[in-house]
Amino acid sequence: MSEHDHKSVGDIHHELHSHLPPDPALRVKAMESLLIEKGMLDPATVDAWVEAYSEKIGPKCGAAIVAKAWTDPEFKARLLENGTEAVKELDGAGWAVAHLRVIENTDDVHNLVVCTLCSCYPHAILGPPPNWYKMAAYRSRAVREPRAVLEEFGVHLPDKIDLRVWDSTSELRYLVLPQRPAGTDDWDEERLASIITRNSMIGTHRDLDPAAGSA
Amino acid sequence: MDGIHDLGGRQGFGKVDVDEKEEAFHSDWEARAYGIVRAMSKAPDWTLDKFRFTREQIDPADYLTRPYYDQWLQAYAALMVGSGVANVDEIVNGHSAGPSSDLGTPRGPDSVVAEKGAAAVQFERPYDKPFQFEVGSRVQTKPHAHKGHTRLPAYVRGHMGEVIEVRGAFIFPDDSAQGVERAEPMYTAAFKASDLWPGEGLNHLVHLDLWESYLEPA
Repeated sequence: MSEHDHKSVGDIHHELHSHLPPDPALRVKAMESLLIEKGMLDPATVDAWVEAYSEKIGPKCGAAIVAKAWTDPEFKARLLENGTEAVKELDGAGWAVAHLRVIENTDDVHNLVVCTLCSCYPHAILGPPPNWYKMAAYRSRAVREPRAVLEEFGVHLPDKIDLRVWDSTSELRYLVLPQRPAGTDDWDEERLASIITRNSMIGTHRDLDPAAGSA
Repeated sequence: MDGIHDLGGRQGFGKVDVDEKEEAFHSDWEARAYGIVRAMSKAPDWTLDKFRFTREQIDPADYLTRPYYDQWLQAYAALMVGSGVANVDEIVNGHSAGPSSDLGTPRGPDSVVAEKGAAAVQFERPYDKPFQFEVGSRVQTKPHAHKGHTRLPAYVRGHMGEVIEVRGAFIFPDDSAQGVERAEPMYTAAFKASDLWPGEGLNHLVHLDLWESYLEPA
């Protein structure tokens, strides 16, 4: 009988906990060298993923989608109807996401996205999630006291605005479509995209600021 | 599993760190860990749900305090040990003392660009049986879970909600975590926060994506 036949997952975790160094950088280094020796990893592929997620994939991909929705009502309708299919129209706006649901903020509605069970997030459109999205404070409170959480982000949401929280329990990924601010009527998509924040697409930011953009 | 991961509605975790610097990775090791997880070979039975279930079984103190990508790697380390791909000594030492894995040639850097054009991993499946619920159906969630992996959070169990969208048939995570692929209808349902946490003066709605076997007609 081999070692792995009689150990529970919990046992394995406890053993790893006892023997691994506490410093995450050392753990990562050991894991990378082991995977390379096992023939399970090409370090050049790690470099390529890091480069992609450091430079190409990130909130600007989401911002391009939102800006297009603001300027093209037909695209916006398609985006709200079937986000997965609609984002394929934007070359380079994001990588493949299998199941995407876009939810729209209005004068009367605000949306907030969370994943209480792990940290599901539209990586392919917004890049890696912020740490706070993955931490216990946000995950525990976003469903129960979202208005208090929003206050911490500087968003005061009047009681008359309907607040809808989306707990990402399936493989469906949620993206908030924030409202286009007034005074941006003659802006092109690129300029519009420059004022769209990451947090506005998660729902922890609401009123976008035209003065924040690039002229 | 009623584990520490099931955080929705729990109290006492303090404020959200809203001053975190906005950047893809906060350190080199975070970036490296992220890239390793995306690039590494994985056994066919290491499904996303099995990975999640493995992470859920990290020691609760570690779950709450160890960095997130560090936990990703520890979950994959545990999967490697559990599958016999490596032993704990090898993980700790960072050197292979046994044979190479039989998972084939690792993916090269071209796979990163290829993934952009390719269809993403699909979780929806064909399904020829009738769906039990429709938009507007009143539903009640099951009051209990089980000791395995589930995507029915504790805070919503035993509560009444309303189906607002029918999503299609998706791989059922509770089975997928055990290595069995089976699809089930999946719905988005809305719950009143004032029902989930009465007496707290709440007026928002909480939406969850829930599989049919989590639900009963209400």
